[in-house]
Amino acid sequence: MTRYAELQATSNFSFLRGASHPWELVTGADALGLEAVGICDRNSLAGVVRAWRQMRDLQKGGSRVRALTGCRLDFADGTPSLLVYPSDREAYGRLTALLTAGQRRAEKGGCELHWEDLLLHAEGQLVLVVPPERLDQAFEGDLRRIRGELPDVWLAAARRYGARDLQRLARLDALAQASAIPMAATNDVLYHGPERRPLQDVLTCIRETCTIHEAGLRLAANAERHLKPASEMARLFARFPGAVERSAEIAERIGFDLGQLQYEYPDEPVPAGKTAIQHLRDLSWAGAEWRYPKGVPDKVRKLVAHELDLIEKLDYPNYFLTVHDIVQWARSQDILCQGRGSAANSCVCYCLGVTAVDPTQPDQDLLFSRFISENRDEPPDIDVDFEHARREEVMQYVYRRYGRHRAAIVATVIHYRPRMAIRQVGKALGLTEDITAALANTVWGSYGDDVPDEHIRQTGLDPAAPEIRRATTLAQQLLGFPRHLSQHVGGYVLTKRRLDETVPIGNAAMEDRTFIEWDKDDIDALKLMKVDVLALGMLTALKKSFDLLPPRPDASRITDIAHIPQGDPEVYEMLCHADSVGVFQVESRAQMSMLPRLKPRKFYDLVIEVAIVRPGPIQGDMVHPYLKRRDGREAVSYPRPGPDYPQDEMEAILGKTLGVPLFQEQAMRVAIVGAEFSDDDADGLRRSMATFRNVGTVGNYGLKFVEGMARRGYDREFAERCFKQIEGFGSYGFPESHAISFAILVYASAWVKRHHPDAFLASLLNSQPMGFYQPAQLVRDAREHGVEVRPPDVMFSHWDCTIEAKDDPRERLRPVRLGLRQIKGFKEDDAKALVAAREAGADSIEAFARRARLSRRALELLAEADAFRSLGFPRREALWAVKGLAGEWGAETHAPLLLRQSLKEAQVELPFMSQPQHVAEDYRTTSLSLKDHPVRFFREELARQKVVPCSALKTVRDRRRLAVGGLVLVRQRPGTAKGVVFMTLEDETGIANIVVWRDAFEANRRLVMTSAFLIVHGQVQKEGEVIHVVAERFTDLSGRLSELREDQGQIAAHSKVTGRLIRSRDFH
Amino acid sequence: MALVPGLITAEAEPEADAQALTALVDWCVRFSPAVAADRPDGLFLDISGVAHLWGGEGELLADFRARLAANGLPFRLAIADTPGAAWALAHHGRDGTIAPPNGQGELLAHLPPAALRLDPEAAAQIERLGLRRLGQLMEIPRAPLGRRFGAATLDRLDQALGRTAEALAFRRPATPWVDRLAFFEPISAPEDMARVTEDVTAKLCARLEAESQGGRRFEVAFHRVDGKAPAIAVGLSLPGRDARRIARLLQPKLETVDPGFGVESVTIAAYAVEPVGGRQVRIEAGLEAAVEDGLAPLVDRLANRLGPCAVWRAAPFESHVPELSATRTPALGAPPPQAQPWNREAPRPVRLFRRPEPLEQVVALLPDDPPIQFRWRGRLHRVQRAEGPERIGEEWWKGDIADASITHVRDYYRVEDAEGGRFWLFRAGLYGGGDAPKWWLHGLFG
Repeated sequence: MTRYAELQATSNFSFLRGASHPWELVTGADALGLEAVGICDRNSLAGVVRAWRQMRDLQKGGSRVRALTGCRLDFADGTPSLLVYPSDREAYGRLTALLTAGQRRAEKGGCELHWEDLLLHAEGQLVLVVPPERLDQAFEGDLRRIRGELPDVWLAAARRYGARDLQRLARLDALAQASAIPMAATNDVLYHGPERRPLQDVLTCIRETCTIHEAGLRLAANAERHLKPASEMARLFARFPGAVERSAEIAERIGFDLGQLQYEYPDEPVPAGKTAIQHLRDLSWAGAEWRYPKGVPDKVRKLVAHELDLIEKLDYPNYFLTVHDIVQWARSQDILCQGRGSAANSCVCYCLGVTAVDPTQPDQDLLFSRFISENRDEPPDIDVDFEHARREEVMQYVYRRYGRHRAAIVATVIHYRPRMAIRQVGKALGLTEDITAALANTVWGSYGDDVPDEHIRQTGLDPAAPEIRRATTLAQQLLGFPRHLSQHVGGYVLTKRRLDETVPIGNAAMEDRTFIEWDKDDIDALKLMKVDVLALGMLTALKKSFDLLPPRPDASRITDIAHIPQGDPEVYEMLCHADSVGVFQVESRAQMSMLPRLKPRKFYDLVIEVAIVRPGPIQGDMVHPYLKRRDGREAVSYPRPGPDYPQDEMEAILGKTLGVPLFQEQAMRVAIVGAEFSDDDADGLRRSMATFRNVGTVGNYGLKFVEGMARRGYDREFAERCFKQIEGFGSYGFPESHAISFAILVYASAWVKRHHPDAFLASLLNSQPMGFYQPAQLVRDAREHGVEVRPPDVMFSHWDCTIEAKDDPRERLRPVRLGLRQIKGFKEDDAKALVAAREAGADSIEAFARRARLSRRALELLAEADAFRSLGFPRREALWAVKGLAGEWGAETHAPLLLRQSLKEAQVELPFMSQPQHVAEDYRTTSLSLKDHPVRFFREELARQKVVPCSALKTVRDRRRLAVGGLVLVRQRPGTAKGVVFMTLEDETGIANIVVWRDAFEANRRLVMTSAFLIVHGQVQKEGEVIHVVAERFTDLSGRLSELREDQGQIAAHSKVTGRLIRSRDFH
Repeated sequence: MALVPGLITAEAEPEADAQALTALVDWCVRFSPAVAADRPDGLFLDISGVAHLWGGEGELLADFRARLAANGLPFRLAIADTPGAAWALAHHGRDGTIAPPNGQGELLAHLPPAALRLDPEAAAQIERLGLRRLGQLMEIPRAPLGRRFGAATLDRLDQALGRTAEALAFRRPATPWVDRLAFFEPISAPEDMARVTEDVTAKLCARLEAESQGGRRFEVAFHRVDGKAPAIAVGLSLPGRDARRIARLLQPKLETVDPGFGVESVTIAAYAVEPVGGRQVRIEAGLEAAVEDGLAPLVDRLANRLGPCAVWRAAPFESHVPELSATRTPALGAPPPQAQPWNREAPRPVRLFRRPEPLEQVVALLPDDPPIQFRWRGRLHRVQRAEGPERIGEEWWKGDIADASITHVRDYYRVEDAEGGRFWLFRAGLYGGGDAPKWWLHGLFG
């Protein structure tokens, strides 16, 4: 029996070359009984961890296949390509250092290597030479050179079924003999099975940017570059005895395994002379004292002690210390942050200041029931969110603390998504642009992973036509293939030894940024240290609002989320009425219509609120059962297994959510307990859910899941529903641990909104862009809550929005002055100069121009935004005056404007500016108007058309037919809603929520998607406080908006200067 | 695209647009010798002193309109005393406005400031001041206005109103390669037709010669008394200007020309004109050049007589499938781009059968060794030497993807029999997969 190991397998991480996933290659090698398969991507190790993971999984099932870690080096200097396999950990470190050097030299995604580079890193490497197409003199010379420098070299020979294969092999054999480089057989594999040839051809076309009809000889002639069993390899190389076995011998000499990398945690945060766990214990107890200045409660004492023991047992203290170190630094810099993730909701994290969940608060203790203990073998997971405006500082700190040679951002693998897959495959197959675009458009957004036939038919194409079938079949195969690597938003990997001796580091597109070749899952699998440093807009807003809050009655100030009083019934009351514009997470349209139904009264309700409006629970059809049980309309019951099993096992898992699984963790627990999934099954299920990598494999687990539960005597329907939800999580999993951390921010932001709407508005505006609403809606909401909002003005405004002194001390709220940041195009530096000039006494247009050295453009922006009004210059007059300052002097580079006040000028009378014109200009320059609402100017006409104001919706009967009109604020077409479009209209009295069913949408597609000002005729639908208008017809008034700009009483001039008054936020 | 799913999109091609505009400018010379392009999408005609040829400005405009419409071009037209006013009226006024002499001021007063050809930013700002009509702008004192919006704005205003002159850059059309012969008496006799064809060709070719140019295509039109102009054309495989040769190619086509009641004049036009070096017959003229020179007239004669599709040459075409690896390219017209020569590592027979011929009694070792013997056209051949297989897969993209199979392959072998005959044969299909494989002979070496 011949032994064989395939040492030349190219995976799809050699982008647009390999046509199989790394895991497919490993599985394929295992199925064929190969001893090993070596993944050799071009100048990259991006795919090796995935192959290794597959090997580990297979080995658990008793397989003996090995996934070898190697790389194909392509040189820039004409040296033949080499397959390099490190023989041990040290050699591996040299290989990654070599690749790092090559990648750092090149543009993003490239790698520039020279022969000398290899020589520096050659120790311990096993090398196979890949012969070029032409076996000429130069190659002979190369072989001699390589032989002379490297100790362990072989010549890789492959049979490709070309016309002169044997001649070529004989020549290679002769070369091998002559140069004393033994020949080893490989099959130069590009895919695991021959059926992938069409896909590989398409990849070639994409790479060469040609169509399949033009590709010609660039395509492979046959489908032979797949994995072949040892016996077949032996037959193909029958004339060259030893070549096949040699490959297995080489594989045997490779002693390196990626498993040797794990647990290389950095130990920076541990002071000398202490162990990590000692230090963590000290910090935790000190933190407990800090959190509970009046004495640490017993409960906390017990929890902390228990958790610390666990952490010690699992050997995670370095992880907690590292997170603490970063958080501590952020705190010292006054940067607000919060941790989330499974390990974050621990008492230790509360004491370390990583989170703000106080375990002694009633109703928050529920959260500590689970901790890392459940997650057996995985490193703990803590993501830390920072203020988005200041995250960069934290990132710089991480680099400083660990050095750029030991800290780097992890990669995100960008996969082929349906649209891109069909577009590129269609192009490669020579379909016209029109057809590929039509096919691509059958998938809206990023959801669908499939292009159903029915959708194709809708676009007027025949799904059974060979051209279309080819494209969709191959696009389906291409789905989930890696396309390129990109940097993760904030995931850092930290190592103890040099990072470039663990993983290759390449350049990012951004200047001075680097990232490693592996993604989060790879890092997790290898148990390396990873910390997520993420950015969250709401933290910025909260931080800014804390700064604006008045001191509390006891003169203390709120500076941390943990200082916010808990359990305030007024806050919950406000949320129950869906009064949540600006509040974190629950401000979206869907969340707003859930709030009055869910009626949150305590903290855990918010956790559920955050998690329930998600694709998972929605697709799993879990929302309505939960609401019914909550309202008491349905009895709470727990599915029970057969009599031989513990009857309360589901109650233990689902008790918190009234028997309805809502969280990812619950779904996993149900799988483990209810369907008897082994740890590996559960792990596989979790991973197949998490990525697109294993498209289709989720389904395999489905059968197992349902069967497993049925076997234990559960209701099949319940099992199927549970699994449907798990599939829903697949695209957007939402675990309880994250929901808890988000709920904290929901409560905190709602509390600020309830008690300090003035500070809330100012801080939200100062943190833009963020959230769901535009400044106009935030301002409107604040005004409805009694906040006085004042326009931007050169005499009062700063760059940021500010809180001004109350005119009347009896007023509860203070006025908000809009900042100059609201003026589109105005620069922060100009604002600072302006404020400085004002403080130095500037009080006229000329003075601002001169002292603040503002450019003409900046002054014009101020004038157009009507910011000189308090100086007695309304908009037009101000613009005229500002323009006059410029005079004939033209070059703006001389910054200050020459002033010609002495120059007597003829008085000019400018035409009167009407209120509608002012409002239109306000919108153009600041996206909002405090003067009036644009729709009011059309009210008379709307009334004539029997259009009711939005505010009237509260009082009309359910099911009534009517018409509402307004500006379109938001358009949404969620993937979960089966083609339904949600719109939000706004008029001067309030907003109206519109539902457009698929038919109405298709009939008015263009209008629904583009209109800015609209009348909707339809039927009112009420459910408690939730009101919708189901659209039947539309009247588009967008064209009329330009009338606002017309002079009153004049016929519209033929003008080309238009533009949109408002721009809606569209989410597809 | 999501808005209007059926929308047809086309790449913007600014260069092509500019070329088209230039062509239009040249074409407009029929109306006035002074035409200037107004990039990217307009043009000015100075019609001073030419309108009377049409019977007045209105008639000129009507004729212009009809001809543009006939060409399917969308347009807006206006006539005024100044280019500025005409521009303003064409872009912002009513289409087809003819401003009366000195009457543009009143017409312009109703137009927006953008009609002054200002940069959009300035025009928008002027409107923002409430000055939404030129009439309002004209009332503003000049000095403050100039200070704020620059001398350029005042200039534009003055140009439109005719207070200052505006110089346009008129284009001179390129001399087209046409020539013409007119006769005192209409001709119709075949000999006459032949002679004038020769003459007019000679006339044009003389000019081509003088400027070292040659044409690839020549078109001769016979303008009849009744206004019709039947034409004949010939194409050359190389640019040329040999009058006799061109005339000879034209001769046979003269039969197709019906002179009707007589031909008044004849015109010739040369197309695809490009520089041609003076071709001297060198004493040491290389063989290749001579062949080329000799072949071109032959190909031209054959192609012009048999039709351009009947004469072709074979060129390599990139495909792994042998019978698809040659393609027909026209003998006339541009020589094919330097195609990749056939792959040396994949030897192909000197003679490839149009249809492979079935083989019988083939004996070969499984699964893919070369055959040991085969019977072809009734004769048994014993294989002495063999090379292969060369495995060639199907072009899966030509059929239904569901029918594509890894067994749809051909294994080609180069074999030599006992008599020294060399054959190229193949087995279609693999052993062990579905249908039994079949053997075929596809070509012969030497």
